[in-house]
Amino acid sequence: MSKDLKFLVVDDFSTMRRIIKNLLHDLGYPNVEEADDGKTALPMLQAGSFDFLITDWNMPGMPGLDLIKAVRADGKLAKMPVLMLTAEAKREQIIEAAQAGVNGYVIKPFTAETLKEKLDKILGPGK
Amino acid sequence: MSNFAILKLEYSACVEALNEALRTEDEKAFFAAVDHIVHMREPGMFGELRKLTGDLQKALERFSVESKLADLAENEIPDARARLNHVISMTDEAAHQTLDLVEQSGPLAERTAKAAGTLIDMVNAYRAQTTGVQGFEGVARSIDAYVPVVRAVEAFLPAVRADSETIRRNLSDVLLAQGYQDLTGQIIRSVMKLVEELETALSDLSRLSGDVVEHATMGESSSRGHGPVVPGVTKGEVASGQTDVDALLSGLGM
Repeated sequence: MSKDLKFLVVDDFSTMRRIIKNLLHDLGYPNVEEADDGKTALPMLQAGSFDFLITDWNMPGMPGLDLIKAVRADGKLAKMPVLMLTAEAKREQIIEAAQAGVNGYVIKPFTAETLKEKLDKILGPGK
Repeated sequence: MSNFAILKLEYSACVEALNEALRTEDEKAFFAAVDHIVHMREPGMFGELRKLTGDLQKALERFSVESKLADLAENEIPDARARLNHVISMTDEAAHQTLDLVEQSGPLAERTAKAAGTLIDMVNAYRAQTTGVQGFEGVARSIDAYVPVVRAVEAFLPAVRADSETIRRNLSDVLLAQGYQDLTGQIIRSVMKLVEELETALSDLSRLSGDVVEHATMGESSSRGHGPVVPGVTKGEVASGQTDVDALLSGLGM
C-alpha cells in the first residue's frame, strides 16, 4: 500500500482545497499540498516530487485545462495521473478535458465515494 | 404646371371667399375663410410641430434614462460588486468555520470509539479469564481481575461524556454556521434587483436609439471555463451528473 503518495490539489477556493485535503486524509493520503491556480501549481509540480494532480478547471491566472496541457507537454510530468474536479459540466468541455489527457473527471458537487472510486480506478489496485 | 400655379389654383377660391366676406362685412364667412386657409397650411406646419414635440419628448426620455444609467454605473454597480464580495467572504467564513468544527469533532469521535474498543477487549479478556473458575480462590482471582475493568470503565465514562458534549456543541455551531445561506441569499436577491433595473434602463436606451440589440454571443473561451451550471442560464449540452460524465468518458474509451 503506497499511501505515502504526494498529492497536489489546485483550486482557487481555499474551502474546496480544504474539503479535498480532508477527504484525501480520510482515504489514507496524508501527504497533500495546495495551489490556488495553474500558474502557482506548475512550478510546484516541476520542482516537487508529486505523484498525483487534482485540479479545478475555472481559476484565475492559469485555468486547469491549460495546466493539464502544460503538464502533458512537460517531459518530466507527462505521465502524471491527473484528476479534474470541477463544476464545468458541458459535454464539449468533458470531451476537451479527455483530449487534453485527464485520467478522470469528477463534477462538483461530488461525494467522498466518487472521489475514492476515481482515485482507485486511476491508481489501480493496491495503491 | 409650376408650384406657384398649383398654389394659385388651391388658394384662389379661399382668397376670393375672404375678399367677398370683407366686402359684405360678413364676420362668420370671414372666419370660415381664414380657418379654411389655416387648415390648408396645417398638414405641413402642424406635422413639423408634432415631429419637434416628439423629438423633444424623446430627448427628455433619453436624458432621464441616461441619468438613470449613469447613477447605476456610478453608485449602484460598485455597491453590487462590494455586496457580492461580501457574499464570497461570508460563504468562505462559514465554510471554514464548519470545516474547523468537523476537524475538531472527528478525532473526538475516533477517540471514543477507540476507548470503547479497548474496554470491550478488557471485558472479553475478563470473561475468558474467569469462565469456569471455582472455589474461594477462583472468586478472589475473578475479583482481582475485575478491578482493572471497573477502573477503565470509571475513566471511560466521564471522558465519553466530555467528548460527546463537545461534539454536540460543535454540531450546534455547524447548524448555526449555515445561517450564511439566508444572509447571502438576501444580498444576492438585492443584486438581482439591480441587474433587473439595469436591464430595463439598457433596453429603454436601445429602444430610444432605435437600435435593435442583438444578443451578443459572449466570446467565451472554453479554456477558461464557464463556472457552475446555473439551471435556465447555462446553454448547450450539459452532463446531468457524475453517471452522465462516466458514460461520456467511457464512450471515449476512458
